[in-house]
Amino acid sequence: MHLDLSNLNLDFLSGLDFDPVSLLFGQASTTLANLSRYILPLIGLWIVARCVRSMLRERYEPETWAYLYLAGDVMIPLRHWECILGRAKSVDGQIDDPGVERIHACLIRGPQGDWTVYGLGKGATYVNGDLVQPGGALIQDADVLTLGQVSARFVDLTEEERSALLKYRHAPGRQVRPGATMLLLTVFQIILLFQQLTYNPEAGLGVIMGFGILAAAQWTYFTVVRTAGQTGFEPEILALFLSTVGMSVAASKTPDDMLKYIILFGVSVGLFVFMCLWIRDLKRVKAVRLYAFFAAVGLLAVTLVLAPERNGARNWLEFGSFTIQPSEFVKVLYIYAGAATLDRLFVNRNLIFYIGFSAACVGLLALMGDFGTALVFFVTFLVISYMRSGNFATVFLAVAGAALGVMLVVTVKPHVVARFETWGHVWEDVYGNGYQQVRAMSAAASGGLFGQGAGNGWLVDIYAAETDMVFGVICEEMGLITGLCCVGALLALAGFVVKNASSGRSSYFVIAAAATMSMMLAQVILNVYGTMDILPFTGVTFPFASVGGSSLIACWMMLAFVKGSDMRANASFAVKRPERFSGGIGVDDADPGPDGGYDDGSGGYYDDGNGPGGYYDNGPADPGGYYYPGGRR
Amino acid sequence: MKKVTKRAFAVLLLAALVVAGMGVYLVRLVMDGGDWASFYANDSVYTNGVLNRGSITDRNGTVLAAAGEDAFHYADDSAVRRGCLHVVGDLDGNIGTSMLSIFRGKFIDYSLLTGTTTKGGAMKLTIDADVSAAAYNALNGRKGTVLVYNYQTGEILCMVSTPGWDPEQGIDFDVNDSAYEGAFINRAISSTFTPGSVFKLVTVAAALENMPDFWQRTYTCTGSDIIGSQTIKCTGHHGTLTIEQGLACSCNVVFGHVASELGGELISQYAEKYGLTTAHTLNKDIPTAAGSVPVAQGQGDAAWAGIGQYEDLVNPYAFLRFIGAIANGGKVVEPTILYGKSCGSEQIMDPSTAQILSEMMSYNVQYEYGTGNYPGLEMHAKTGTAETYGGTHAWFAGFITNANAPLAFVVMAERAGSGYGVASPIANAVLQKAVSVLG
Repeated sequence: MHLDLSNLNLDFLSGLDFDPVSLLFGQASTTLANLSRYILPLIGLWIVARCVRSMLRERYEPETWAYLYLAGDVMIPLRHWECILGRAKSVDGQIDDPGVERIHACLIRGPQGDWTVYGLGKGATYVNGDLVQPGGALIQDADVLTLGQVSARFVDLTEEERSALLKYRHAPGRQVRPGATMLLLTVFQIILLFQQLTYNPEAGLGVIMGFGILAAAQWTYFTVVRTAGQTGFEPEILALFLSTVGMSVAASKTPDDMLKYIILFGVSVGLFVFMCLWIRDLKRVKAVRLYAFFAAVGLLAVTLVLAPERNGARNWLEFGSFTIQPSEFVKVLYIYAGAATLDRLFVNRNLIFYIGFSAACVGLLALMGDFGTALVFFVTFLVISYMRSGNFATVFLAVAGAALGVMLVVTVKPHVVARFETWGHVWEDVYGNGYQQVRAMSAAASGGLFGQGAGNGWLVDIYAAETDMVFGVICEEMGLITGLCCVGALLALAGFVVKNASSGRSSYFVIAAAATMSMMLAQVILNVYGTMDILPFTGVTFPFASVGGSSLIACWMMLAFVKGSDMRANASFAVKRPERFSGGIGVDDADPGPDGGYDDGSGGYYDDGNGPGGYYDNGPADPGGYYYPGGRR
Repeated sequence: MKKVTKRAFAVLLLAALVVAGMGVYLVRLVMDGGDWASFYANDSVYTNGVLNRGSITDRNGTVLAAAGEDAFHYADDSAVRRGCLHVVGDLDGNIGTSMLSIFRGKFIDYSLLTGTTTKGGAMKLTIDADVSAAAYNALNGRKGTVLVYNYQTGEILCMVSTPGWDPEQGIDFDVNDSAYEGAFINRAISSTFTPGSVFKLVTVAAALENMPDFWQRTYTCTGSDIIGSQTIKCTGHHGTLTIEQGLACSCNVVFGHVASELGGELISQYAEKYGLTTAHTLNKDIPTAAGSVPVAQGQGDAAWAGIGQYEDLVNPYAFLRFIGAIANGGKVVEPTILYGKSCGSEQIMDPSTAQILSEMMSYNVQYEYGTGNYPGLEMHAKTGTAETYGGTHAWFAGFITNANAPLAFVVMAERAGSGYGVASPIANAVLQKAVSVLG
C-alpha cells in the first residue's frame, strides 16, 4: 500500500464535525480501511482459535475428594461431589458383587465437606451397621459403608491433603495466555471502530465511546479477576468476541443510540458476575430453585396477558420508553430450575414435575405466538430430560406430545403457517414472506469471505436485521469468516462444557452447562438457518451477537452456568476453591506463571483416571512422600 | 455422575446439527452465491434497483452494455443493441438465457472470496457487434435466427434472434401482439423448429454408413411417389438422379426412398448421435432446448422423417454443432460465447462421412445454388424449406472454408418462404460482413 502524505486533508480544521479518522489519516483512511477488511476476519479467527486451543490443550485433571477401600485394598476414588455406587458399569464406584444393586446408593458431598449417603433402589445400605433411612445418613472418615454384603472403608481427605493434591493440578493459561488473547480482542475492536468511522457516515462520538467503554470494561474485568487468582478466561473472551460483533452491528444500525447498548452490556456483565458468585454455593442455589419455577411460569403468564400483539406474537412488555422480552429471562430461570443434583434425579416424581413445568413453559410460549423460542425451549427440554433420566420412554412421550402441540400451533397460527409455506421457496416470494431471507442471503453473498467493511452494509436497514438476521449482517459487513467464527465460538463453548462434564463436581452444574449450550446452539440453528432458508424463519436471536437487550442480558447470565462447569484448577470464579473453606495451607494459585516443571507434558500424576495407580498404593494415610516426588520441593 | 457426564454428549449432537447446517449453507453459497449477490435488492451493486457496475463488450471492445454511476447503457448503435439483445439481455431479466441473467455474477464481478467489489466485472464476449447488426438488418423484420461460429475455435460471432426490441427504450410494445410472439425467447438456443430438407444431411450420413451400395445408386423422380401408404411429393420432376444430384436439388423422392429403407429407428439414432436431440449447455451454464426426432413407424412416416418433416424438431444451436462437425472432419469444437474460454471438442462423426458430406455440400452450391450468389465465399451449404402450419421455415445451413474465416452458420427465418429464396441471401449478407471484419 502506498501512503501518499500529500493527500492528507487539512480541511477538517474548517469543519465542525468531529471526525478523528480523517483527522488522523486523511484520505488514506479509506485505503487503510479497505486493507483492514482483510485483516479483521483473520484476527477473529485467531481469537477463536486461541480459545479453542486453550480449552483443548489445558489439562482436565479429575479431582479426588475421598476414597472407598474394599477388601484387599481395592480402592475406589470418589472424583465428584455426587457419586453413584452400584454394580452397573455406568456408576461412579462400581462394586461387582451379586448382592449389590445395579444402582445402589449415592454419596453426596456438601459444600462444607460433609458427606451424606442416600440409598437408591431396593438394596439396603448401612453406615457402621446402621440402616440408612430415606433422608440419608452422614458418613465420616474411617466409617464403614455396607452395600448388601459388601463393606467398604470410607476415607475422607483432609483439607491439607486435598490442598497438596490440588497443588499439582494445572491451572489454565499456561499454554495459551489469556492476556494475549485479550489483546487480540482489543485489536479486533480497534479495527472495527476504525471501519465504522470510515464507512459509516453516521458513526461519531457515540460509537467511539461505545467501543471505548467496551474495551475499558473488559480490561477491568480481566484485571480484577486475574488479580484474584483466576486464570481461565476462554468463555468470557468468546462471549466478549460475540458481543463486540454485536456492538458493531448496533453501531451500523443505530449509531446515535450507542449509550443504550453500552448500558445493557454493563448490566449484562454485572449480572454475569452476580450469577457466577451466586452459583458458587450449591446449597443456596438449591434453596431458591422452587422460586425460579414459579417465577418462570409467572413471568410467561403475565406476558401472555399484558403484552400487546406485535407481528403475530405477544412476547414484549413495554415499560415507558423501553421494552423487555420476558421469555429471554425465562430461559435463565428455566435452566436454573431444570438442572438438578444427583439425589433428586432418581426420584420419578421430580422428573414428572419437571416435564409438567416444561410443558407449561413451551405451551405458554406457543400461546404467545413465539414459536421460535418455544422450539428453543423444547430442544433444551429434550437435552435436560435426557440427561436427567435414563428413561427413553419418557423422552419419547415428551417428543410425541410436543409434535402434537407443534401441529396444533401450526394449524392455529396463520403467520407460522405462512413461514412454513415459504420455507425453501423464498426466491419465489421476494416481495412477501421471503422478503427478509432473500435480502439476508444476497447481502451475505455480497460480503464474500472478508466482508464489505463494518458500517458499509445495507442489510442492517431491513426490518429486524440486527436481531433475527444478524448472521446476514455479520457476513455482509465482516465477512463469512467472521460469521463462521461466531458460530465456531459457540461450538467451542459447547465442546468446552462437554469436556468439563467429565470432571464435574455436581450433576447440577453439568446439566446446567449442557442445557445452556443446547439452548444457545438451538438458537444458532434457528437464527442462521432460518435466515438462510435452510429452516423456516422463526425469528430467534443469535446468542450475544444479536442486538437486543433482553437477549444479551440473558445470554451473559447463562454464561455463568458455563463458567460453573469449569473445574480446572483456579479457572473459574464461579467455582469455589475448597481449600479456602477451612483455611488450609495456602496454595500459591495467583500465578500460573513459569514456576517450573509441571507443564512439560510428560504426563501428570493423577490424570490417568484409572483408580489405584502407582502413586496411591500406600494409601492416603501419609500422602506426603507420594505427592512430592523427585525433590520438587 | 458418570451417566450424566456421558449424556452431556447430547450437546455434541446439536453441535453436529450446527455443522451440518453450515455445510448445507456453504454448498449453497458456492453454487448460488452469484445469483444471491445479483439480486436487485443488493444495494452494494444496485442503485434504486439498477445495476451500477460492470460491463459487457464484444470481441473488439465495443460496449454492448455498461453500468455507470448515473445510468445503465447499452450499445450506441441501434442495430447492434437489437442484434445483441438476446445475447446481452436486459436488466429486468426478461431473457432468461442472456448474459445479464445467467452471468450477472460475472457482470458485477462477484466471487466467493471477495463477494462483490467496487469496480464491477468486465465481460468480453466472442460476439462481433457489426456482424450481429448485419444479421439483424438482413433478417429485415422477419422472425428468425442467425447463428455464426468459428468451427475451429468454437467462438460464436453472431447469435441473433428476432423479434426483439431496443433495450435502451425498454419494452414499449404489447406483449400479446403476434408481431412480438416469442420476443423474450432466444430462438437460436431456446426453440425447436421443423428442419425440413437441411435434415437430409443426417439421412445422407446414416445411409453412407449403413447402405454399402448407397453411392452407386440412382433414383428416378416423377414429381411424386407412393412410399408405404403415403404420397411423397417433390418440388419438381427431377428425372434420374445420382445421390449427389438428389441432395443438390433436394429431391424428396430420392430421400423418401432412402429413409424408408433405413427405417425410422436408424434415422432417430443418427439424430441422437449427432446431438440433435440433446439439450446442450453453452459455456456450462446456458441451457439450450433439446430437439426431437421420434422413431417413425412404417415406411411412409420414415420417409417423411428422413426428409426433415414428420414430427422432427431441431434446435438451431444443436444444428450448428452438427454443421461444425461436418466442417471440422467430424469433430465438433464446442461453441463458446465468453471470450478466451474454450469448451473442448468431441468427435461425433466418422471423418470420412464428414468428408463426403462436405463435398456434397460444396457440390450443392456449385451445381444448384450458384457460386455467384456468394462472391468470395468458399461456400458449402444445404437449403431447407420446412412445411409447417401457417407457412414454411426458410433454412440455410452450412460453412465456409475461407482461410481467415472458418465459419459455420445456421440461418432460419420463421414462416418466411423458401430456404433458397429467403435464408440464403441472409446468410450471404452476414458472412460477407464476417469475412470482411475478420480480414
